[in-house]
Amino acid sequence: MSRAPTPLDRRIALGLGVIAFFVLWATERPVGFVRDESVYFAAAEQFARWWSLLFHRPSAALSDAVITQAFDFNHEHPMLMKSLFGWSHAIFHQTLGWVRPAAGFRLPAFAVAALIPALIHAWGSVLWGRRAGLFAALSFFVVPRHFFHSHLACFDMPVATMWLLVVYLFWRAEEDLRLAPWTGLAFGLALATKHNAFFLPVVLTPFGVLAAWRIAGEEGRRVLVRMGEVAVGFLAYVALLLAVLGRDGLVQSWQLLSPQTFGLVALVVGLALLALRLRARDPAAFVKLAPLVAMGLLGPVVFYVHWPWLWYHPVDRLAWYFDFHATHVHYAWTYFNVVLRAPPFPLLYVFVVTALTLPISLLLPMAAGLVRSVLLCLGDIVPALGRRFGRGGATEWLLAVNALWSILLISHPSVPHFGGVKHWLPSMPFLALLAGREFDRAAAGLASVLQLAPRRAIAVSLALGAVVLLPALTLTVHVHPYGTSAYGELAGGIPGAASLGLQRQYWSNNVTGVLPWIDANARSGARVWLHEVNGLSFRDYQRNDMLRKDVMPVGGPEDADLAAIQYHQEFREQEVLVWQAFGTTIPSMGLYLDETPQVVVYRRPGR
Amino acid sequence: MLAPSAQDGKASGAGVNETAHRLRTAAPALALMLVALYGLGFQLQLPRAFPSDADYRGVAEALAAAKAPGDVVLLHPWWTERARLFFPADLPVVGYLGSTADDLVAHPRIWVLANERLPRTPDADFRRNFLPDRTPVGESRQFGPLTLTAYRNGRARPVLLSAIDAFDRLEVSVEGPGGSPQPCQRSGSRILCPSDASVDVAWHEVLYQPVRCLFVLPPSGGRTLAIRVPDAPAVDALLLEAGITWEHAWLPGRAEVQLRLDSPAGSLHDRIPGAHEGFVRGESPASGPGPWTLRIQTPNPQDRKVCVRLRGLGAAR
Repeated sequence: MSRAPTPLDRRIALGLGVIAFFVLWATERPVGFVRDESVYFAAAEQFARWWSLLFHRPSAALSDAVITQAFDFNHEHPMLMKSLFGWSHAIFHQTLGWVRPAAGFRLPAFAVAALIPALIHAWGSVLWGRRAGLFAALSFFVVPRHFFHSHLACFDMPVATMWLLVVYLFWRAEEDLRLAPWTGLAFGLALATKHNAFFLPVVLTPFGVLAAWRIAGEEGRRVLVRMGEVAVGFLAYVALLLAVLGRDGLVQSWQLLSPQTFGLVALVVGLALLALRLRARDPAAFVKLAPLVAMGLLGPVVFYVHWPWLWYHPVDRLAWYFDFHATHVHYAWTYFNVVLRAPPFPLLYVFVVTALTLPISLLLPMAAGLVRSVLLCLGDIVPALGRRFGRGGATEWLLAVNALWSILLISHPSVPHFGGVKHWLPSMPFLALLAGREFDRAAAGLASVLQLAPRRAIAVSLALGAVVLLPALTLTVHVHPYGTSAYGELAGGIPGAASLGLQRQYWSNNVTGVLPWIDANARSGARVWLHEVNGLSFRDYQRNDMLRKDVMPVGGPEDADLAAIQYHQEFREQEVLVWQAFGTTIPSMGLYLDETPQVVVYRRPGR
Repeated sequence: MLAPSAQDGKASGAGVNETAHRLRTAAPALALMLVALYGLGFQLQLPRAFPSDADYRGVAEALAAAKAPGDVVLLHPWWTERARLFFPADLPVVGYLGSTADDLVAHPRIWVLANERLPRTPDADFRRNFLPDRTPVGESRQFGPLTLTAYRNGRARPVLLSAIDAFDRLEVSVEGPGGSPQPCQRSGSRILCPSDASVDVAWHEVLYQPVRCLFVLPPSGGRTLAIRVPDAPAVDALLLEAGITWEHAWLPGRAEVQLRLDSPAGSLHDRIPGAHEGFVRGESPASGPGPWTLRIQTPNPQDRKVCVRLRGLGAAR
């Protein structure tokens, strides 16, 4: 079976991507600027200015000092998406004037997010047919929180896209050698998107090595063993250096000519030479290993080259980058009436929140699909299960592992648990794919029982798909643009989640629900405290005409005429301080989603 | 006779098997449809649980007509705070995580505004924590999905004196170690003391509960803050409640706060353990008229900001 989609399915995938892009664009205006997004806007503008300098005065732009000045801001994250945001803003807003500033930044985010339904269909249609691919693609896109995150000029949805792209290309390249370099390039882009991508080799290496081992002849296996020895030798060498130099010493003493560089070069050269030998002596085995080789060679190069901040100080700054994410601060997060502030976090948190935030009609096929996939994989190991449920094979394992990887990773009790579902988004396209198979089985079963002719079977499939997707679609429409507040039917919707004591919202974007009232009611030059909205977001609301330009931001209730409080369990004190400062406990208005307070506005009496 | 029967049985068995097979084959689609229809039904039903502005105004009018001094409104579920937009300013509205367990000591009558049509309304919590010692008074009234019911509060007791009401005559000083008491000075609405201590009356949060309390910044250097109510009346009990405000409460590795209340009834010792969230409570026996002196001391004053409620209570009604 060819792993390439049919021409028609390619066109359908393209159509899905195009439609998704325009739907996101058409619905972006009311989406507020989440706290991080305005930081990325500012970073993107700054980087765009550097690119402009690079074109006009390259020698100045390429100096260490100028690069440090230009890229030091928000160096917690790599550059790919921020560069795209900046270029898009410069072209579509500043130069052409076609879109408002925020849309200028966000257009690349729409494009990247729109790749997900396209890729899901391209993959699902090959695995289980067009019906499965279409349903899977739509079932990802119509989940309220996925739809919301697809709008943001952030990195959570882009890295989900990149993860899916890399795994898909890896799967394709295992059959078609021409796609191996593309896998490597995609991996580099994934690294350049967000740090999650550093786990991709951990996930994919066993698949590539095992596939190569299975198909390899005696000589090929000898080369593979030698490659393993080189890798193990490198790890032992690193362990030795760590033992001798310590972690800080390893980083600080790393120069161009140093034991560290020698070890790395020896690893890369050794593996590359062995890969060439494998290609010469066992081409079939090499095909299976080629995507990993490409990832190993191209990924780090793309990552390094794309990020000027690394150019002059690669070791120190990479060490800082990894250290920052390995020791990320824990933000408070409410879970069943308990404000989680520090590890250990509940082991089932990710599974529970996923179940409570997905629309129930999509939770069922996703969960069923995952259970089936796990059973099929176990069937490969346990013969009795294999006889009862069937056997999976490499592709089934690939889907199951990727569906679970991010979920299990974030489930670790010491990993930060804030951020709703966004931190395990890379799992969700795979769950959608598995849901597509379940839907296909269900639709096929129905058509078989009803003994329908092919045309009627299609009509019944479409009707069934519409019925199953409709609750998710209506939920998404209902909650838009307040996607961080969305909860599915299992939670009892937004009010049910409030009674269960779940996090009501995050990232401050829901403030858009009260901005029109502030515009209409604030006196000229009013001092406004938008709680949890950072100064950059305040500026962005004003420059995107979502907030009057004469009102002034202040940092707390003491100085404010108006205060808009974000309802978070951990911030109750902030609202009470407004009562104290304003001398009233009565709000003037608020954003109440399905009765739940989200943003509550107070006006100082007499102002 | 057996043959046809057997034939019928086989035919019937085949039919049953066929039906079972068809049901099994169609089951995934039926399950998906049923769940989807449940989802749609849920979403269509949900708006019926939402009160209109007119419903809230109806409640506000009813309350305005029936309210008496000491009344309070309790929201159920606790988070249904949209009600605050509509109610008169002189009628306290209580709704915070855990508010069903609030004794509401100062309030002999509680108006419970409940919306039981909302999904996952925590009724068991309400029955367990609110209903004991509370008796419905009169009939419930319905305003759309809202139910307004008055309860006599069996946990209420007359508040004969509250420290925040006596703020203007409080005598505050910093004591020891080893030295003579250093008096504090009034500055605007605050009492400022040596060693970075202060006292004022303010709204703060203690484990999600908004409280208007004596807000105490304890003195540094191991010193003790003494807050004296000079001329307190005779009371049936002295109720001391103290808690660390906001997120400072949970901070790990912090020392405890020592509290000592001296009154004509004797001494009451209490402490707020490190990382304790919420109020600690202590109650002294009946006390004759005379001064009350509360002493507060902690080694971690910078993040042990204490919210204190000290009330002299009369006999239960």
